[in-house]
Amino acid sequence: MFESAGSAASAAGNEGHKTSRYGRLFRACSMAVAIALAAALAACSSSSSSSSSSSVASGSTLTVADVAPFSGVDAALGPTYLVSCDGAVQAINNAGGVLGHKLACTSADTRGDPADAVPAVGSLIANTKGLALVIGCTSDEAAAVVPVLNANKTVMFCMTGQSEFDNVKYNYFYRLVPPDLAESYAMVVIAQELGYKRIALAFGNDIGSQTFVQPAVASIQKAGLTLVANETLDLHATTFRTEAQKIVSAHPDAIMTEALGSADPTLFAEIKQLNGGKVIPIIGTSAAISPAFYQASASAISAAAFSANFHADNLVTATSGPAYNAFSQALLAVKGKVNGAQTGNFTTYFTAPGAVHLYDGINLAALAMVAANSTDTSKWKPWIATIGNGVPGAVTVSSFAQGVAELKAGKQIRYVGPGGPTSFDAYHDSPGIFQIDTYSPTGAVQVTGNITAAQLRAVSG
Amino acid sequence: MSLFLASVGFGLITSAVLAIASVGFTLQFAVTDVLNLAFAAVMTAGAFVAYWVNQAGVSVWIGLAAAMAACSVLSVLLNLAVYAPFQRRGSSPITLVIVSLGMALIIEFGIQAVVGGVNVSYSMGQGRTFRAGGLVLTTVQIVIIAISVAVMAAVHVLLRYSRLGKAMRATAANRTLARNCGIRASRVITITWAITGGLCGLAGAVFAIDIGSFGPTSDDLFLILILAAVFLGGPGDAYGAMIGALVIGLGTEVSAAYIQPDYKYVIAFVALLAMLALRPTGLLGARARG
Repeated sequence: MFESAGSAASAAGNEGHKTSRYGRLFRACSMAVAIALAAALAACSSSSSSSSSSSVASGSTLTVADVAPFSGVDAALGPTYLVSCDGAVQAINNAGGVLGHKLACTSADTRGDPADAVPAVGSLIANTKGLALVIGCTSDEAAAVVPVLNANKTVMFCMTGQSEFDNVKYNYFYRLVPPDLAESYAMVVIAQELGYKRIALAFGNDIGSQTFVQPAVASIQKAGLTLVANETLDLHATTFRTEAQKIVSAHPDAIMTEALGSADPTLFAEIKQLNGGKVIPIIGTSAAISPAFYQASASAISAAAFSANFHADNLVTATSGPAYNAFSQALLAVKGKVNGAQTGNFTTYFTAPGAVHLYDGINLAALAMVAANSTDTSKWKPWIATIGNGVPGAVTVSSFAQGVAELKAGKQIRYVGPGGPTSFDAYHDSPGIFQIDTYSPTGAVQVTGNITAAQLRAVSG
Repeated sequence: MSLFLASVGFGLITSAVLAIASVGFTLQFAVTDVLNLAFAAVMTAGAFVAYWVNQAGVSVWIGLAAAMAACSVLSVLLNLAVYAPFQRRGSSPITLVIVSLGMALIIEFGIQAVVGGVNVSYSMGQGRTFRAGGLVLTTVQIVIIAISVAVMAAVHVLLRYSRLGKAMRATAANRTLARNCGIRASRVITITWAITGGLCGLAGAVFAIDIGSFGPTSDDLFLILILAAVFLGGPGDAYGAMIGALVIGLGTEVSAAYIQPDYKYVIAFVALLAMLALRPTGLLGARARG
């Protein structure tokens, strides 16, 4: 537009002014990049020195930290875990707390990025008094933060399914969710159960989603199904029309997917548009069992269309009985009080894997402290497996309050929460078994079937 | 051929949205001298304003007007409260870039604090789907293209034929000289913030309509596309930004059809780098000498 400026005077001054503008602009951009790099390096160099291995002062507060994404594309995960944390902690405190200590929850936002997660955890360790337990640590950041937390001797219950934790021993790492490759197999079993032959894959380009792809490809082949498309979705991209067009053109019977944030809902909407208004059946991972995912997907393609075309694998969770009752009451007690978790159908949290299994993890840790009669991590940590796996003659308990009562009565206990019995192996993994979930048009989770170990073995790639 | 035509259609939609944003961004930069990296964050704010209006049972097309008004006000306030004081103190351009980056984070996290980490969609239908060869466009997408064309025409009329447009061009070309010629440059700058803020709000809302599902961070990568379009056309050049938007929009979508789609932004930037090497002043700029 400068070239067309009317006056001769401004035209004369124009060239010099533009040159000056470009020069300043380039200097500005160069400086911006340099500052960004410096900030990143500074963040990476942050360190911590404290350790959570020693016991805390009598009567002080023990802190449970939710280390997970609260912003970025996986921002729905952190609040889901915080619902679980607040609910469990409130129930424990109502039952008298742990050895005279009250519990409290705090959070550290990893933004779903290892580069942000490490300084966030460093700051958490350095600034949190009485840090007793960490929950969360999704596949987005687990590889970066687990070694840090382990070095700090902080017990953690992680939600990562990454296979690299299957056979590597971190003394303070515990996991109540299966490896991601097992989830990939479970998705293939669902496809078989529903009679789908032609499968398209659409997974996000983040660590947590890409970990499903290779096992799924191998499993599809093993199961005799046909892989017709395999699209990687850039979670920061704004549209996925080309990917959607390629998927539609491949005529799949079903799409296996995990691309959180706005990616999956956008993809679903674009596929529906390009497919003449028809939704292609979707098979999601257990991460899709969350109010935020349902709400975004249902509003993108309509609740009726989404609920009629969506299935997901999920770990078997209780839907009735004393453990479920204690769990649901604990969560309902914090309904509407957790930042970032006020939207959607709250009952979805009752089957959301993060909510269920981290609730169990917090109860296991709290009961381990009571059983060890110590808040010293080195003393109570071994009790996690003892209480989780049980010993002969142990009394089964389904809540913290019940467990404390039995321990005070001098009995051995085995905790079986809403996530079912645990069975920790040498690497502290307790993988669980799968069920098949769908959504009702109102967003309530419905269980439509179970997946047996034999079915999983049959499609293991 | 079918995939090529389909990707051309996708490119036209992306270009339409990108053009509105890029023209707003480049006009803002040209007249105010602020490389406003908070532009995409303000777009997000506009998208959510339209969403809240839409959630109240009002048509999203009315929400567009609300988004324009809200972002217009927000941009003016942003300048009056943040950028102008720094400029008055003679802060360097890099300082303003850093300030705008900070404002982008403040606005983005502010929105996230209000709405949470959820992604939302407007309550609206897509209308009929039109197909021609491989080209697939919905009624809503055609409306978005029409809005973009209308905005480009309006910007052309504003710059070429109105007193305000001439004053904006004069201020952009040489602010001191414009003042000496009797132009109230500070007033022109404030009006420019209002106009470009309105374009920003419009871009945010049509962007959200286009992508179907959006959240507080959805516009992050779009800022990079805006910058690419603006620099391709020549920074500060509205007509260049229009062409830049078309090239980037078509380039990203058509390239995605033939390579891995997640590399489509890389292709766009390779084109941009080549352009900067060969014609640093942009597509419409004078050929670089020596």
